[in-house]
Amino acid sequence: MEGATQAPIIERDKKLDNFTKEDKSAINSKYKWCRRLLVFTVIILCIRLWDLQIMKGNEMRKLSEQNRIRVKKVIAPRGIMYDKNGKILADTRPSFNMYVTPEDIKDFNQTIDGLAKLLDLDREEIINKLKAASGFPPSFPVKIKPDISMDEVAKVEANRVYLPGVSIQIEPKRNYPYGKMMAHMLGYVSEISDEEIKAKEFKSYSLGDFIGRYGLERAYESQLRGVDGEKRVEVDAMGREVRTLEIKDSTPGNSLYLNINLEIQTAVEKAYDGKKGGCIAVEPKTGAVVALLSRPAFDPNKFAGGISKEDWKAIITDKTHPLQNRVTQGRYPPGSTFKIVSALKALDEGIINERTSFTCRGGFPFGKRVFKCWKKGGHGTVAVHRGIVESCDIFFYNVGLKLGVDRIHEMADAIGLGKTTGIDLPGEKNGLVPSSEWKKKTYGEQWYEGETVSVSIGQGAVWLTPVQLLQLSAFVANDGVTFKPQIVNRIVSPEGKTLKTFEPVMNSNAKLKKETVRIVKEGMWGVVNEPSGTAHGSRLQTVSMSGKTGTAQSVGEKGKNLGDHAWFIAYAPAEEPAIAISVLVEYGGHGASIAAPIAKLITENLYKPKVEIKEARAYENR
Amino acid sequence: MKIDKRRLYHLDWYLIINGLAIFAIGIFNLISATSSFYSGSYNFIMKQFIAFGIGLVLIVVIIQYDYKVIAEHSKWFYAAGLFFIVLVLGIGMAAGGAKRWINIFGISIQPSEFMKPILVLFLANMLYQRKRENIPLGLRDIGLPMLYIIIPFILIVKQPDLGTGIIVVLVSLSILWLVGLKKSTYAVLMSFGAIIPFVAWSYLLKPYQKMRVLSFINIDADPSGFGYHAKQAMIAVGSGKLIGKGYMSGTQHKLQFIPEHHTDFIFTVIGEEWGFIGSIILFLLFVSFIYRCLKIAQEAHDELGSIIAFGLASIIYLQFTINVMMAIHLAPVVGIPLPFISYGGSSLVSILASVGLLLNISMRRYMF
Repeated sequence: MEGATQAPIIERDKKLDNFTKEDKSAINSKYKWCRRLLVFTVIILCIRLWDLQIMKGNEMRKLSEQNRIRVKKVIAPRGIMYDKNGKILADTRPSFNMYVTPEDIKDFNQTIDGLAKLLDLDREEIINKLKAASGFPPSFPVKIKPDISMDEVAKVEANRVYLPGVSIQIEPKRNYPYGKMMAHMLGYVSEISDEEIKAKEFKSYSLGDFIGRYGLERAYESQLRGVDGEKRVEVDAMGREVRTLEIKDSTPGNSLYLNINLEIQTAVEKAYDGKKGGCIAVEPKTGAVVALLSRPAFDPNKFAGGISKEDWKAIITDKTHPLQNRVTQGRYPPGSTFKIVSALKALDEGIINERTSFTCRGGFPFGKRVFKCWKKGGHGTVAVHRGIVESCDIFFYNVGLKLGVDRIHEMADAIGLGKTTGIDLPGEKNGLVPSSEWKKKTYGEQWYEGETVSVSIGQGAVWLTPVQLLQLSAFVANDGVTFKPQIVNRIVSPEGKTLKTFEPVMNSNAKLKKETVRIVKEGMWGVVNEPSGTAHGSRLQTVSMSGKTGTAQSVGEKGKNLGDHAWFIAYAPAEEPAIAISVLVEYGGHGASIAAPIAKLITENLYKPKVEIKEARAYENR
Repeated sequence: MKIDKRRLYHLDWYLIINGLAIFAIGIFNLISATSSFYSGSYNFIMKQFIAFGIGLVLIVVIIQYDYKVIAEHSKWFYAAGLFFIVLVLGIGMAAGGAKRWINIFGISIQPSEFMKPILVLFLANMLYQRKRENIPLGLRDIGLPMLYIIIPFILIVKQPDLGTGIIVVLVSLSILWLVGLKKSTYAVLMSFGAIIPFVAWSYLLKPYQKMRVLSFINIDADPSGFGYHAKQAMIAVGSGKLIGKGYMSGTQHKLQFIPEHHTDFIFTVIGEEWGFIGSIILFLLFVSFIYRCLKIAQEAHDELGSIIAFGLASIIYLQFTINVMMAIHLAPVVGIPLPFISYGGSSLVSILASVGLLLNISMRRYMF
């Protein structure tokens, strides 16, 4: 076989013996060129490699590191808020937040449309959120939807391959276990806005961060916030985490222990069901706030999860203004509760004494007008004690006229009425107790005595907040001393170390005559405990409460009279006051029948502290 | 059939050891390229060794026969090669949008890889027979050979496998150059060559292929597609700096920033893990290998051997150069494997068969 095929080849070789000398040299010169080309190419390759690896090596190494290493934020859980007895009022729970990292998106439309479809989101909304983050590096994850449900998590995870750039992070979310309860006091948190992020004061915040907006959340933001940690992770080309290289743990925010007593708070919340208004109770000797409530309320949990447009719109367009904290921001005429101010001043100045009396026939002609007493038939001859107990208007018209508006203003100022109390909630409003000077300044007119008549019983240009009237109650209870109402008792570090305890801060210290205090206190005791007292229906068997009712004519919007505001200020026990209370029921009607029972409930609970916590839960679930 | 001991003595051990050295680097590199930080799959390595084994058997078979005999039969190889390429177009397996493989008894084969050395053999034989009395070839002489080049070229480009198509044409042209053409023929070929890019751009290239060319010119034109890959490849190589990130430590490929990092972009793994020094060593091994091939071609017993050896040297040279250039952004992204190093059985077997032919030519250089 071999021989057979070999023969013709050898024959052909002989015939075509074409390796002549010239031929060889021509071919040799071609090979020389080939070798030159080879060397030349490799030199080109080496130059390029030198350029890439040696000249640009550091830059390229940096780029490759940037490719693989991402710094992710580890969000610090916010500090917890506890009540006086250590019950949790606000904490954090894990939530799933969905992010999109622009750099990892391969096909923009595929990812955006896919997400919009999966999570039932608006395409425009996603794009707007991405646009808002355009000032950040493309490797910065942008939060698209916070607190997605387990179903949504499952949907996204199942489709991860088709959604490069999408990631889900488990992050702490603010949680308010009691929902609407205490909403105005605790406040809420929400995501920082695109505008805020540009402002200097928010420079330590980054997009997607939550910030305290209202109530204690806002007032104690710097304490509650904590310090975010950092996680350096290695990611692959799809942006998926491959391994964690380094973790710098976050430091949780400091916790707040409040002076609030959840049991009493719960009882008050229940009493306010279906009502509007506000209520605050403090320990008069320290200013510690035991309960605080404003209605109507909102659910702060809605904000923490990233409030939807509709929900937000519903809250801000609500005519009842649920975002207003009526205790610190609502200004109302104080009505008859203000008579205490007139009584205090008149007694202390010696303008009247215990026996000074006036006759009430149900009407008080002054100038061209007749000012009426609430009791049509009149009270007859009334001295200061009955004047307070039965809330005789005529008595106080006379006292007021004798005092003059400026002396009433003086006393109100000493108590702290018409001024902010300094309660540790943001946005507290001042009020107004008029004076002749004020009128001159504001209207350029002189003061008319007829106006004094109205002011002496808390009508006219008197506007006070419930927390200011609380100070009035505490002022009497404490013999002329008031303290700044303080909700937070102490700040505690995550390790449990007390960082700061809030000591009582004295607001006013009026040197009242003992006699003055005795007479007014007896009067307020009589309001509740004497058969003729306006709040006799709210007396307690176990403990003696003192108080003063108020039924303030509201100046309804557009002249429409929506009803009177019901007031009741109180303290108890009468002998050694341990709690001072201010109750307002907006358009509630009579202070005696509407507001006083709420104060009774608080006192009752305080001295019979056996409220089933189950009730609080029942309320929350409603 | 027994091996003549003298011929064994004449085996080119230089070529063998040089080739083995490149292959050894390739295997080590492939282990890194195909394993993640956590787990490695030795499936790739196994398959590569099997292909190597087949290649070795093929070498042993090839050196049994005089290369003249093999060249005589090259028309059958050529026919078979064409048949399989047509088969690929018919029943081929698609991967990554291209049909390049056929499955025979569970083994996937890429016929276009084998077509390269076959075409060298076939052309060499044909031109060798056409060339008479040292007269340069004219247009009429190369008409038929051109047809034999263009047929597989079109079929391969249709798969689409532009990379292999380009190699086929360039290798054929270099063979024609070596054999020698008339000046007028060069002129005609060159004017055709000037037109081809325009024709190709307008009629032949698929949109994605055009995108590759565009993103080569402007790397940021397509930041998420080919431009992105080209850029990531460049970053990988560049980030290796002088001595590299170390074996198994290349983050660019391990974190999937580079596609096809075990096949077409294998050089990025070497560049990233072994740096400038490692890359230069690899270059030197290739230069030395190709030098040796050229030496075999130059010292061949007759012009047939010379042409075949030269053609095979051109394949290795072109694949090496274009593949590396692609990784360092000196050439557009085309699918061309790095000889001995890229993962792929067909490529490795084809290269080893070429080595077999080179050894064959080398050991018969003193034969009379």
